[in-house]
Amino acid sequence: MVIMKEINFEHKMGAHCESGTVTALLNHNGLDISEPMVFGISGNIFFGYFESSNFPFPTFIVRNKPGSIRKNFGKNTGVKFNTASFKSKEKGEKYVNDLISNNIPTAVQVDFYYMDYLPEWQRVHINVHFVTIIGKNETDYLVSDSYFPEKAKISISRMSKARFVNGFMAPKGFLFYPEYIPDNIDLDKAIIKGIKKSAYNMTKLPVPFLGIKGMRKFAKKVVGWPKIARDIDHLSHEIMKITLLLEDQGTGGAGYRYLFATFLQEASEKLNENSFKDMSKRMMEIGDNWRNISYFAAKIGKNRDLGPERLKELSNMINDRADEEHLFFTDLYKLVK
Amino acid sequence: MKEKDVYVEFKPHQLVLYVEKDDDSFGPMQTGSFMAKNYLDDYFEKVEKWEKSLREQLKKGEISPVYYYMILQSFGEGDLASRAGVSKRKLRQHFQMSNFTKLKLSQIKKYAEAFDIPVASLFQLILSKHDEKRKISIKQTVTQNPYFIITKVEIA
Repeated sequence: MVIMKEINFEHKMGAHCESGTVTALLNHNGLDISEPMVFGISGNIFFGYFESSNFPFPTFIVRNKPGSIRKNFGKNTGVKFNTASFKSKEKGEKYVNDLISNNIPTAVQVDFYYMDYLPEWQRVHINVHFVTIIGKNETDYLVSDSYFPEKAKISISRMSKARFVNGFMAPKGFLFYPEYIPDNIDLDKAIIKGIKKSAYNMTKLPVPFLGIKGMRKFAKKVVGWPKIARDIDHLSHEIMKITLLLEDQGTGGAGYRYLFATFLQEASEKLNENSFKDMSKRMMEIGDNWRNISYFAAKIGKNRDLGPERLKELSNMINDRADEEHLFFTDLYKLVK
Repeated sequence: MKEKDVYVEFKPHQLVLYVEKDDDSFGPMQTGSFMAKNYLDDYFEKVEKWEKSLREQLKKGEISPVYYYMILQSFGEGDLASRAGVSKRKLRQHFQMSNFTKLKLSQIKKYAEAFDIPVASLFQLILSKHDEKRKISIKQTVTQNPYFIITKVEIA
């Protein structure tokens, strides 16, 4: 039996891979902070609608770009992360191996597809998944993945492929771990900064496919999806992917809206500010309405009930969320201005 | 959403959702995936249909193995082109069998790597003759030679 060198690291599932990984690493390094707080402080709630050849079909995002949780959290709190990426696979592997030898757990960016401890239906090619490497022997790495209930083993060769695969947002062996955590983080200030950024991104970005504008674009475009789908099954698949993107792909439910509501509740307690508590409840209700979209998309997709009227109904539901969120983030911005 | 309304029993696919607890506080809960529990059969049916339809086109030489795997693995053209080290225009040309057969072996290897399959799998599909697939296991083992694999068929 090959003995595994394992760092004493508490594995916890998380809602999202990046916020879960950053939170777990901060906790490991002595900072007691929750995943919603990390997510909220980094100002990551978002919306964007994309039509790009890098995706097999038009798609949307419900959080800001990968890497921004670590970056923005660091910027708003003073926490410093050591980061590295590599041209040479050998150097990238050696760097991680040396960190493990020195008992330093490190987050690595990988193609999600290669995480073969997860069920096959869950794994897709996407180069922006994050896991923490917490151990190694001659054949395998031991990882803590926010999407898996236990610590998992993955072969060294699979991990190497996952870290050095080419393609859109290629990982290039990217890794990070906290190297400095200030003794007295001004969390109050960081919370306000995170809220400001979130509200600004949702309501004021002058880009027609981002924030609330992105939701409206999505609502407008979704009725045209039948024209670009290969057939009814393909259309059904893409409509049902709306549910996956909102609920299943590491959002904490309702496209991060529940995670953000939890952040606002924690913020209200931390800042002793009741208005955030009201906003938190409002966001929870908005989340419930997004979840209704999830249920609706799954149902019409499964039944192949995808005629113009049904898609118009879906479009109206998305537009309603845009109205609600425009009002919500405008009010939220006023509270922190 | 209330904790009790969210919980789904489905062990193979677990995730964390944020919910409203009984005491009105919000927090995480581990649950099975609602989509996986209720809609996996539908997903597998669709994939099976696509595979059969693409296989027919492949047999007739209407599409190349590059197109076959691109669709089955849900790649965007831009992403796949970048992984295989070709332009999008070139990639689209390689969707046609007539152009695929002109490719250098080194380029075919890059496609195989992008699809995470052996080079040989771009030239053959190994299928079970019977429907009872579970009784036969097919294991492909890579060797030090990246162009050569060993396929072992085991009948239980």
